[in-house]
Amino acid sequence: MPEIFINGQSVQAEDDETVLQAALRTGHYIPYFCWHKSLSIAGNCRLCVVQPEGKNWVEIACNMPVSEGMRVLTDSDIVKKNRKATLQFITLNHPVDCGICDKAGECTLQDYHFEYNGERSISDVPKVKSTKYVELSERIVLDNERCILCSRCVRFTREISKSNALGIKQRGDESLLRAVEDGALDRDAYSDNVVDICPVGALLSKPFLHKARVWYLKPTRSVCPSCSRGCAIDIWHRKPEWKLRNLDPKENTAIARVTPHDNPEVNGPWICNKGRDLAQIFERARADGAMLKGKPVELSAAIEMARRLIDGARQRVAIVSSWGSNEELAAAKEALAGRFATFFKADRVAEEGEPLQDDLLLRADKNPNTTAARTTFGDASAAAPTFPADTDLVLVWGEGFDFARLPAKARIIFLGSYLAPENGHADVFIPISIQTERAGHYTNFAGVVSGFEPCFAKAPSVAHAEAVFASLAGGPRS
Amino acid sequence: MPGRQLIMNFPVTATSHTLADYVARGGYQALAKALAMTPQDITREVVASGLLGHGGAAFPVGRKWGVVKLDDGQPHFLCTNADEGEPGTFKDRWILEHAPHLLLESMLIAARALQVRNCFVYMRGEFDLPYRRLAAAIEEAYAGGYFGEKVCGSDFACDIVIIRGAGSYVCGEASGLLSSVEGKRGYPRNRPPRLTVKGLFQRPTVVNNVETLSNVAGIIRDGAEAFKQLGKPKCPGTQLVSISGHIEKPGVYEVEYGYPLQKFLFDDCGGITGGKKLKCIIPGGISTKVLTAAECEPLTYDKESLEKAGSSLGSGGMIVIAEDTCMVRLLQVMLRFYHHESCGQCTPCREGMGWMHKIIDRIVAGDGRREDIDRLYAISALNDGTTICGMGDAAGYATVGILNKYRDEFEYFIEHKRSKLGGNLEAVHA
Amino acid sequence: MKHLIPEFEQWKKRFPPGFESSLVMPCVRRIQEDRGFVASEDIDGLSTYLGVPRIQIEEVLSYYTQFRRAPIGRWHIQTCRNVTCSMRSAERLIDHIAKKVGVAVGETTPDGRFTVSTAECLGSCGTAPVVMVNDTYHENMSIEKIDRLLDELK
Repeated sequence: MPEIFINGQSVQAEDDETVLQAALRTGHYIPYFCWHKSLSIAGNCRLCVVQPEGKNWVEIACNMPVSEGMRVLTDSDIVKKNRKATLQFITLNHPVDCGICDKAGECTLQDYHFEYNGERSISDVPKVKSTKYVELSERIVLDNERCILCSRCVRFTREISKSNALGIKQRGDESLLRAVEDGALDRDAYSDNVVDICPVGALLSKPFLHKARVWYLKPTRSVCPSCSRGCAIDIWHRKPEWKLRNLDPKENTAIARVTPHDNPEVNGPWICNKGRDLAQIFERARADGAMLKGKPVELSAAIEMARRLIDGARQRVAIVSSWGSNEELAAAKEALAGRFATFFKADRVAEEGEPLQDDLLLRADKNPNTTAARTTFGDASAAAPTFPADTDLVLVWGEGFDFARLPAKARIIFLGSYLAPENGHADVFIPISIQTERAGHYTNFAGVVSGFEPCFAKAPSVAHAEAVFASLAGGPRS
Repeated sequence: MPGRQLIMNFPVTATSHTLADYVARGGYQALAKALAMTPQDITREVVASGLLGHGGAAFPVGRKWGVVKLDDGQPHFLCTNADEGEPGTFKDRWILEHAPHLLLESMLIAARALQVRNCFVYMRGEFDLPYRRLAAAIEEAYAGGYFGEKVCGSDFACDIVIIRGAGSYVCGEASGLLSSVEGKRGYPRNRPPRLTVKGLFQRPTVVNNVETLSNVAGIIRDGAEAFKQLGKPKCPGTQLVSISGHIEKPGVYEVEYGYPLQKFLFDDCGGITGGKKLKCIIPGGISTKVLTAAECEPLTYDKESLEKAGSSLGSGGMIVIAEDTCMVRLLQVMLRFYHHESCGQCTPCREGMGWMHKIIDRIVAGDGRREDIDRLYAISALNDGTTICGMGDAAGYATVGILNKYRDEFEYFIEHKRSKLGGNLEAVHA
Repeated sequence: MKHLIPEFEQWKKRFPPGFESSLVMPCVRRIQEDRGFVASEDIDGLSTYLGVPRIQIEEVLSYYTQFRRAPIGRWHIQTCRNVTCSMRSAERLIDHIAKKVGVAVGETTPDGRFTVSTAECLGSCGTAPVVMVNDTYHENMSIEKIDRLLDELK
């Protein structure tokens, strides 16, 4: 545990730390591009320089092991001058694309330029021209002129996703980031993380391209429901104060993009591509009206009818959603226990060709809360549902259950979020909210509990499942 | 002869590079001696000799070897740097073509000292005859039992492989060289860790220049003391100097350190072509600072003397420049070279080389601006000590050296939009 | 490149175990020698044979100036244009070669006979100017000598 001195202040460093790590950890900010806490050291941007006290030169801090008694300065005149020069070099051939670049507003180069350089270019030679809008894969677009060759993306594909899908070709100022020629980047289930870690607007997400300026968006902390890993995510959507009236109202309740939220306990700074495509799940056509055998009714009427059906039934079976939050599952237990034989289902399964499980993040169980469903309702509830011969009521919660398997004579109460033919066949259909419309928690496969916050308001004609179960809870147990 | 010879001390014939001729000259006796010494004793002898590296950095060889921890249970590697890419340098080629066994014997001795089982020679891809000569010598050496499971019947095993480069100057930089030996782009690496701690595939590795290693056999055979009899106390031995440019008798000469530079230039090498006067020399490859004719006059050829004059031995590639040579155009050729060779990893070099090249192209095209000279100084300064490898620094030294001594030519070019000397690079037209 | 594998297997014997990646440079050179350039299926084959990622080989091919992924002329005429050679008439030589052969520097003649390019320092400054034709150094060149040389190269 060496003691080092940063700007004269004593800092307790860890044994194998670098000066950069020790400085960042203790609130002495040093700017950097190519370093990343989860990747190997590249040491190529040369921005993170510090001055050893008493010397008149600078060294990069990201590759400087700490040693007892070491003294460095992070903001001396020499450091400031060198940093300014490095930023001049980085912007030497960088196109002034800010006006059309998606990264504007969250661009490290912009931020550092303001903070550490702030001057126009002193160059009067023409900039190096290069390829722009290179379709690196179906999901990622590359602008080589903006690329500062920090190599974070390359290291990600070598060290984290291990797809080896990216590399740097040619050399010098003609160096070009390129994808390997056999399409491996398209097959990299984690490819889009390189868009997050790119410090500039060189790597951009095609689905998000030119969709919105980031300063109109706000990130809401959530949990990805695509598998039982439960990665922490940020769901980005328009800030309330920017809900523009003359826009299609759908824009105001749309998911603009999904990015990882760094959670060291679960996913670190990464998510898989499927998590980025949550809009494909959440923005399917919604069921927004309660129905009785297809006939639209008020929500309260539907809930009342459901209560009556439950009270009047003898043999009740419930098939519970593994997408229910911990809170919803608890409320369901209150309502169903003692009255229903309860099973839970996998609402969603892997699609054809979808990667199942790996040793990074992906889990074969494509549902977020199987663990809580199992602990709430017991191991027996994990089995495939069985219907005793005299089953007269089945409550189905969530999607993914084949209604053809239901006993012909049983009445059906169906709680669902999306438009589906089954909605009209159910004796009682109650439209319920989705994850983005409420707060809650999921328990992942390893027992870690993570929380999500609401991004949007639910429609008034849609119920929260937790409230529905609370309404159904009171009543005779037989 | 510019002093006494240690390496070029035999007549070159049609067979002088063969094993038979080498043995007849006393070859592989040093190896026999080394096999009876401990690794530590071999290194001690090399330390005692004061041998300095001949690749450009002039680092004490024994000290480099001493960093490698013996008996640490992991493989060590020895890589010979035969990349010889520094413009003006062609002396390692002489050894590869005419004395390949001297190199091989020295490598075996070094391998024994460093507990190396596998040796590599990294040779620039453009060398054809040097490659064929060395490859043939290696086969002779294997057949003669000098390489393989039992070197000269001992229990010391050693294998050797030539890895040929493919056109990249920075593969002459030790860590860039290792990246290439590893089968990747020739990207130099940051230090720490030093290559002698984590080198080839993260194992302790010594990278030495061809000529550097070729001194080892003699040091072991005749002893450190004998070696120190040549040259100067802090700079013992000799240097194979490649001399070229506007000189009457270009070629490779073995110069004993301390030899008077004037004598070398004007007696041994025949003076300037076309009967012209000397303008300046670049003493050790283009990355060393230029010395004017006046500065050259009192100098002896050795580390101390050249450093005191503000330059250095470098790679021993001496380029002689006659009067009437346009230094602006000369720098243009150099900056184009550095721009072409930058690997592109780190910001100051990748961007700076292109920038300097564009500036000087503009000056030569008659569109120079007042700020250009200061700009070239600034970019050079910003590459000094801030880059991953020494190439950024080298380009800076070349630029600053020429600007310092010949600023007037640049000012003239900018102001008059043409060269003071007609843009001339040649001393005599063919 | 599969027919070259037996040769590669022989080379492997002098490499330490686990050094497959080190064989990239020598194997690529041999493949190029054999085919005249390195094809995409060669990259696949070599990647599989050595167990190195395909991208590593793609990077190597694009980084080093001597490797190529498309064929060039039968005779590759490379003139050094670095310091000493330029001081000994290389610039005039380069212009002359381009004019005589009838293509710009960097191009190949339509009949596939010559490719004309420049090189950086070839390590032969003592015999400048130097022209490299395929693998061979032609030293102490002059316009007359280059004329004779080019005429002989069919």
